[in-house]
Amino acid sequence: MKNISRRQFLTYVGAVGGTSALLKTSIAMGLMKEDPFKGPVKVTPAPIKNKPSVLILGSGIAGLATAFELEQAGYDCTILEASFRAGGRNLTVRNGDKIDEMGHTQICNFDKQDNLFFNCGPARIPGHHKRTLHYCKALNVPLQIKANSSKMAYFQDDKFLGGKPKRIIEYHTDARGLMSELLWKSADSNTFNQMLNAEDVEKLMDFSKAFGDLTENGKYIGSERAGSITDRMLDYPQPHAPMELKALLDSRFWYGGLLGAELYDWCEPLMEPIGGMDAVVKGFLRHLKKPPVLNAQVKKIFNKANGVEVTYEQGGEFHTVTADYCFNNIPAYFMAGIENNFSSTYQAGLNSVKRGHLFKIAYQMKSRFWEDDGIYGGISYSADAISQIWYPSHDINAQKGILLGAYTWDPKHSAMFESLTPLERLKVGAMSGEKIHPGYSKYIENGISIPWARMNHQMGCGMRMNKDDFKTYFHLLQKPEGRHFMIGDQISHHSGWQEGALASSEQALGQFNHLVATNRT
Amino acid sequence: MWLKVILSVGMLMSAANMALANEAHTPQGLEYCTVCHGSQLKGNQNIGAPRLTSLPAWYLSRQLNNFQQGVRGSHPKDTTGGEMMSMVSTFSDEQIAEIVSWIVSTESTKPAVSLSADAHKGEQLYKTCAACHGVNAQGNEAMGAPNISGLNDWYILTQLNHFRDGIRGGDAEDIYGQQMKAASAIVTTKEEAESLAVYITQLK
Ligand SMILES: Cc1cc2nc3c(=O)[nH]c(=O)nc-3n(C[C@H](O)[C@H](O)[C@H](O)COP(=O)(O)OP(=O)(O)OC[C@H]3O[C@@H](n4cnc5c(N)ncnc54)[C@H](O)[C@@H]3O)c2cc1C
Repeated sequence: MKNISRRQFLTYVGAVGGTSALLKTSIAMGLMKEDPFKGPVKVTPAPIKNKPSVLILGSGIAGLATAFELEQAGYDCTILEASFRAGGRNLTVRNGDKIDEMGHTQICNFDKQDNLFFNCGPARIPGHHKRTLHYCKALNVPLQIKANSSKMAYFQDDKFLGGKPKRIIEYHTDARGLMSELLWKSADSNTFNQMLNAEDVEKLMDFSKAFGDLTENGKYIGSERAGSITDRMLDYPQPHAPMELKALLDSRFWYGGLLGAELYDWCEPLMEPIGGMDAVVKGFLRHLKKPPVLNAQVKKIFNKANGVEVTYEQGGEFHTVTADYCFNNIPAYFMAGIENNFSSTYQAGLNSVKRGHLFKIAYQMKSRFWEDDGIYGGISYSADAISQIWYPSHDINAQKGILLGAYTWDPKHSAMFESLTPLERLKVGAMSGEKIHPGYSKYIENGISIPWARMNHQMGCGMRMNKDDFKTYFHLLQKPEGRHFMIGDQISHHSGWQEGALASSEQALGQFNHLVATNRT
Repeated sequence: MWLKVILSVGMLMSAANMALANEAHTPQGLEYCTVCHGSQLKGNQNIGAPRLTSLPAWYLSRQLNNFQQGVRGSHPKDTTGGEMMSMVSTFSDEQIAEIVSWIVSTESTKPAVSLSADAHKGEQLYKTCAACHGVNAQGNEAMGAPNISGLNDWYILTQLNHFRDGIRGGDAEDIYGQQMKAASAIVTTKEEAESLAVYITQLK
């Protein structure tokens, strides 16, 4: 291609062939990465006469999506769900809803208002979760932006600055300033002379100055980027005094929340369904021909020569049903307690899936005091067991709000909360909240807690396999055993995200197409 | 409404609502027991929930009462015991009686050995245990010692270690637990505990 730049060429192709030509050419030229997700699997259509039947065990996101795709292709699907409700870990609670914790049934006492709800499980969707976003669109689930980070929120650690909460913007600005100062110093002391020529070193020093807001001679003395200790509108701005490098290094924020908003799955803007994440579940239920059979706990799964036989118990009665195929969305670690005739290797694979321990608290707050403090969404990070406080970014300026008062991943912290009664958990959470927002407790009207490792029919979230098991079993579990397919985020590299659950369903339906093709020949 | 759903399932999928001979139905309201302990309470190691079939009624009610009163399960290191404790704390005496008669009526296969350990070594150690639990681990109510031959070896191992470490049997009100705590002193190593567990589980 002579005398014409690549960009000009693309403009030219675009004008001639329209945007799709432009897109294809961009991909061919290596300018854009091809996204592997091209919409759901096209399921081999069912024969019109004698529709094959499919049993789907569990109505988690993977089960619902699998049933939806199969129904669209003409299969006769029945979902058996052990719980009194559909959706699995996708659970949003409102006034009067039951939280089915083993040994501690809780009823949500939030006021009866549309804006007062809590996403007990999934709460956010990043822009690259194509499958989740595809279904939101296809099922008419309206989304809004969810602020997943707020630089006005806090970081608090008893061992840092005497326990005084620090605004994240201040921490970020100081961390950048202090690191830039070190960079400036090492550039000045010829450290990079091997790698960079004199001109580059000059640029590096300019970069560090700009990056950290340093003085002319490379000092960080605080920055207006983090606001001012005076009234910025009427007075000269005066930056707050920077924290000490030693204090920064001793604080626990930099290996926790500091990079929170920079992870790929948390990269902004994130989204949430308006009115609660369970809008996704409701979307599926609206589009399914047959609603899930609830309170139907599967007790036996047997592969037969040409199908699968499943026994479930409902209201103290056993029911045995057979179908041509079966997709199993039940948490894999339950399978050892469910009679089956799987091969011992397949069962060993199922046993290798371990329970995870996630825990959340939510409080109904009498007033949205955080908004008076300049926080409209996002997350404060605590070095206490509660780990995080989330502020709602929906319904700004409403009277009340639901605040996430704890979100723990550390199994030790989760185990501590799990062993407490719901009331004790709320008290522990309130004590940590006080440290960030003095007076926190007096705003609390009521609250709930959700220990996922203690929830009925779930007993865990964030299933995981160790590295060796993953190597041995993951691919095995992705394939059907007889006519039985495992699905769920547990059969993905991305457990703990609905995208993983949907990817597992897509993968299994791809395998299903193969199996149907072989059965027909 | 559910009836309708069931009927439609039945019609479309040629379901046979077979009454399964011998199988115990789960009493209503107690479905959650089978979530962890499994179908017919056959046990599930992934959850740390033992097989309950084959445990005698008198022992079951004693343990359920112990859990209910925090005599068992309140030690901070007893995670699964703590889980049972919060579960049982909500039960009434009638419910406990109902659970016991249901457990006794369940039918599940005796678990196979899952640990790899030297059963011969276990046989030697078991001679002391046999005084109360019987030669075939069939139990002896008069001694307050339950049938333990139908328990999973991994569960026997956990409990043995709990007794040895004072995680179980430390409560003054747990009279039989205290006895077991003292008796568990015959086991001095991890390997011995494993071989004992394996020996008991492979007994007929
Ligand atoms: C605290 C938390 C935060 C999360 N945050 C996010 C987030 O921000 N964004 C995001 O996309 N994802 C998030 N996730 C992950 C998301 O919730 C899961 O990936 C997804 O919901 C899992 O769906 P699944 O299909 O794997 O099945 P599950 O939801 O695990 O469903 C399994 C189903 O099987 C049923 N079942 C169990 N036993 C039986 C039986 N014997 N018979 C019949 N049915 C049975 C259960 O009742 C349940 O309905 C979060 C999860 C948690 C817990």
